[in-house]
Amino acid sequence: MARRRDFAVNDLPGATLISMLVFIGLYAPILVLIVYSFNAGDSVAKWQGWSLDWYRTAWANDEVKAATWVSLVVATGAAVLSTALATMAALGTTRRPAFRGQTFIYVMINQPLMVPEIVTAVALLLVTAAIKKATGYSGLGYLIVAHAAFCIPFAYLPIRARLEGMDLTLETAASDLYASRWQTFRRVTLPLLMPGILAGAMLAFVTSLDDVVITEFIKSPGQDTLPTYMLGQLRRAMKPDVNAISTLLLALTLVLLSAFFLLTRNRK
Amino acid sequence: MKTLLGAVALMMAGTALAHAEGELFLYNWGNYTSPDMIKKFEDKYQVKVTITDFDSNDTALAKVEAGASGFDLVVPSAGFVGIYAEKGLIQKLDLSKLPNHKNIAPEWLDVAWDPGREWSVPWQWGSTGMSVNVKDYAGDINTSDIFLNPPAELEGKINVIPEMGDVLALATMWAGGTVCSEDPEVMKKVRDALLAAKPKWMSMDYSTVEKMINHDYAATVDWNGSAMRARLGNPDVAYGYPKEGYGLWMDNVVLLSDAKNVDNAYLFLDFIMDPENAAMLSAFARYGNGIAGSDAFMPEDMKTAPEIVPPAEFAAKGQFVTVCTGKALEYQTAIWTELQK
Repeated sequence: MARRRDFAVNDLPGATLISMLVFIGLYAPILVLIVYSFNAGDSVAKWQGWSLDWYRTAWANDEVKAATWVSLVVATGAAVLSTALATMAALGTTRRPAFRGQTFIYVMINQPLMVPEIVTAVALLLVTAAIKKATGYSGLGYLIVAHAAFCIPFAYLPIRARLEGMDLTLETAASDLYASRWQTFRRVTLPLLMPGILAGAMLAFVTSLDDVVITEFIKSPGQDTLPTYMLGQLRRAMKPDVNAISTLLLALTLVLLSAFFLLTRNRK
Repeated sequence: MKTLLGAVALMMAGTALAHAEGELFLYNWGNYTSPDMIKKFEDKYQVKVTITDFDSNDTALAKVEAGASGFDLVVPSAGFVGIYAEKGLIQKLDLSKLPNHKNIAPEWLDVAWDPGREWSVPWQWGSTGMSVNVKDYAGDINTSDIFLNPPAELEGKINVIPEMGDVLALATMWAGGTVCSEDPEVMKKVRDALLAAKPKWMSMDYSTVEKMINHDYAATVDWNGSAMRARLGNPDVAYGYPKEGYGLWMDNVVLLSDAKNVDNAYLFLDFIMDPENAAMLSAFARYGNGIAGSDAFMPEDMKTAPEIVPPAEFAAKGQFVTVCTGKALEYQTAIWTELQK
């Protein structure tokens, strides 16, 4: 896309103003939420002084702890599983000449990005209920597999992008030097691909951590994750401990996204 | 036999840890179950209770209906108990296993959705009325005129919760009808009153507690639990029971047909109908519980709370807000749509 640089959006009048407004709209509510998580009173909107009480309350709440644990286990499981599958899919779709049906395969892999989540959720509800009935198993496996399924595109895209940026010459050279296919993969492809894999895994982790709809539909007893726990608070007045949990989740997400950025930025 | 051996093995292995003798899976609205009461139940019967949250009656029903939900007890709202029963998702209660069944307050025994309480036991109940800041308005607050025919002092400072069933129930009773009225004249009056009143409202929003405390609203259509929390934050807030009629709701515990821990479920159902334990539920959720004699065990601030204990003169004015069907629903939807414009 090398064009003459005679047009840029930010030269347009008002571009700065509009982008500032967009950023304020995006981040101001989050800032308010963070500030109120340090509120001393038990209101989510009336300021009564600074304190860490709600972090303490959230920490002392067994339900919150259990939900955090479920969230982390599911997100880790889903990230590992989806990244492994996505890596294989990315290798299978890029380390070869273009083939018939390539676009179709891409669409299939990225399907969870296109289909409304509620459709997937209802479909999964029916299927998991049937499996639960048949096997009697009701562990976290369902959540992990379901999350892995919709995390695959998030893991797949950065890995594929990385692979497309790596040309085949190094691998060809390795083969020339009598490396077996496994050695080539293990010693050449995989190390080069690692930043993409890590980035994909992090995106998958964050996506799983965020999920509400699918989790709500297929969770078994005792499998509330943080987002479904927070959703459950809505009917009664929300307390600032929900703000405290949100702030912590936000911090975790920020850490992971920063890591993603550091891993994927172009090395000079 | 295998389970028996397993249980024995567990008991033998569990010398250091206190092993639960059984389990119980409760599917309930979030932030609605007193942790202290659960702890008491677990200690008394050595049963481990697992609580899972839902956020709407519809989600809960969908999950239970899909089958193999793994839950033993669910807490649907009044209007949904019949649906569970019709679909065969819940079982009729064996009242001989529930000695505390006799504690159900008379007014909560022969309820429309479950006469004689053979399918469900009370969890919590509440009402929909008016919250008013008495500094702004000194007149009678026990009337739906507050939002349908607002006094001059309140104009432009009124909020109405965006809850179709509750708001239209209040307006219908105000117009002289019953909840889910199919009378075109009554519904015409409801429509005209709502549309005429709307310009005098400030907003249609859920967050009533904060805004009543901060005095952003002078009055709002409100649920009694929210009204009480608002009053605790701002003593000028008072709760009115419209004398034309106000809305009532109740959540109830039902026993699923495919429950695996039926004996523990009965223990739990009986346990929550003990007045002392019912009071623990109320102390946490801040609503009434429908169990006679629980008042004695209520926290001081709730025993006398006018939001929880309706004054005698208004006690009989409440009508249950059910999900309307047919013609009544058509009227409601049409009015609501017009109101939202």
